[in-house]
Amino acid sequence: MIEINHLSHNFGQHWALKDISFRLKKGEFLFLSGPSGAGKTTLLNLLFAALPVQRGEARVAEFALNSIKPAQIPLLRRQVSVVFQDFRILPERSVYDNVLLPLQVRGLSRVHSDRRVRAVVRALGLEKRSSLLCGELSGGEQQRVAVARAFVVNPQVLLADEPTGNLDAELSFRLMDLFKQFQAYGTTMIVATHSQELMRRHPEAKVIRLEDGMITGANWPGATLYPGLEQMMEQRRRTAPPQPKSTKQPEGAGS
Amino acid sequence: MPRIILRLIGQGILGLSINPWAQILTLTAVILVSFLVGLFLMAVTTLDHQLSMASGETSFQVYWRPGPDQAQSDEISRQWQEIQDIPGFLHGRTFTPEQALKEMESRLGRNSTVKDLTFIAENNPLPPTGLFAFSPPQDVQNLDYGIWIKDTSQKLWDLPGVEQVSVTPLRDELGQAWRKVNTYIMRPVIVFLTLLLGLIIGNTVRLALLSKSHEVEILQLVGAFNWYIRLPLLVCGAVQALAGSAIALVLLRFIHMQIRDVLMFPPLMLEIRFLTPEMILLMLAVPALMGLLGGWVGLKR
Repeated sequence: MIEINHLSHNFGQHWALKDISFRLKKGEFLFLSGPSGAGKTTLLNLLFAALPVQRGEARVAEFALNSIKPAQIPLLRRQVSVVFQDFRILPERSVYDNVLLPLQVRGLSRVHSDRRVRAVVRALGLEKRSSLLCGELSGGEQQRVAVARAFVVNPQVLLADEPTGNLDAELSFRLMDLFKQFQAYGTTMIVATHSQELMRRHPEAKVIRLEDGMITGANWPGATLYPGLEQMMEQRRRTAPPQPKSTKQPEGAGS
Repeated sequence: MPRIILRLIGQGILGLSINPWAQILTLTAVILVSFLVGLFLMAVTTLDHQLSMASGETSFQVYWRPGPDQAQSDEISRQWQEIQDIPGFLHGRTFTPEQALKEMESRLGRNSTVKDLTFIAENNPLPPTGLFAFSPPQDVQNLDYGIWIKDTSQKLWDLPGVEQVSVTPLRDELGQAWRKVNTYIMRPVIVFLTLLLGLIIGNTVRLALLSKSHEVEILQLVGAFNWYIRLPLLVCGAVQALAGSAIALVLLRFIHMQIRDVLMFPPLMLEIRFLTPEMILLMLAVPALMGLLGGWVGLKR
């Protein structure tokens, strides 16, 4: 479903991603962890063609992103839904209209669209809010609208960039439970997050740790660590000033 | 697919309510430009019509001495009949001093402070006049044309009581001059104004796109094709152009009704003509197309 080989990306002199390789099958769930600036958002942006592939290869839902034509990008995005930390919904439209938007774009019939929107809105507990304007909703509700909009089209892949960043712990856990529910329908998911707690609550999920654009940790053999990682770590150890305590290993990261 | 397109067209029309001030300013600019184009086209139509009507004609404006007595007036009336027998006569229009005074009174119009000229009727200073159109005989070559004018002019001068004869040149020559003006000035100006129209609408469409950038970003995110995003904006541009040119046409029609006869006096005798049906269609279709084109270019930039 997702196949990334030696993917690198730079912004001028700065390498945001370095030699990233991993594979995910249909219905698998991956956490992308790492500090701010590690390259998580860049990687997600590459996966839905918001950025062009510069080096390496990327294949998402049968689309080769290296050679994707501009006219094919909407077709890719009909298979790949994205959820952002800042929701990216239309505040001046109702919950119903926001969730309906991807179906309108696809030209689905009104009856069919209505049925699907109502089902997803109900599944996300928004049925009583469906006629309200999104601007009138709380942050948690807005995030649920964004998730509803992502899932209403039964995407093959869901990318979520810090989806719990604006939510409290309780709402974050509920949102992840929703993701897991939808994963059961066969959607492959990549969730970028800082939260160690979220990853701890889903030990069955795959995890990749990114640092400085490199994979520095992963909990399954489908991901390849940065080739020069060992030498680089050794060099860091030599040049770094002595630390009073050893740094803690990231949760779930290992191989 | 037709359902989507209809919905997007509807969205485009509703989109006119976004940035209302910008839309109103654009509409005003479109009306102004369309109005100017319409005025130029009206001038073209009027002159073309006049030239086609009077093609090959030479006009002689004849003035008799003012203040004729009854016997002289009878003589002048007889001369007007005689003039029609001169070879090459096409048509003529004559004014007795009384007719000229009435014409003048009507020309002064409602806005004039002098509404009644009867106080000068007894000592009417206006002369009897006539505008006579002649066509040169077929065998007259370019070189002889001047001689023919001189001869005809002399025949008119020789009529008793004639004080002045003025001649307008052959309308074919005027026609050629007009065609040059049309080719080198009028048409480029109309093309320039049409391009200006596209530019104005293109900028407004671009402004609408910028103001909707958040929505556009979300539409792109959920897999909308560019045409899906652009069609409402293009429709918005085309509707603006269509509405602007329709309003301009209504204004032109109103103004035409007011000024239709203002040049209807000797020696001009010009009736200002309104646009032909083909021109009206062009005035509606071209701005709408320019609206689409300008919008498309605006979105491409």
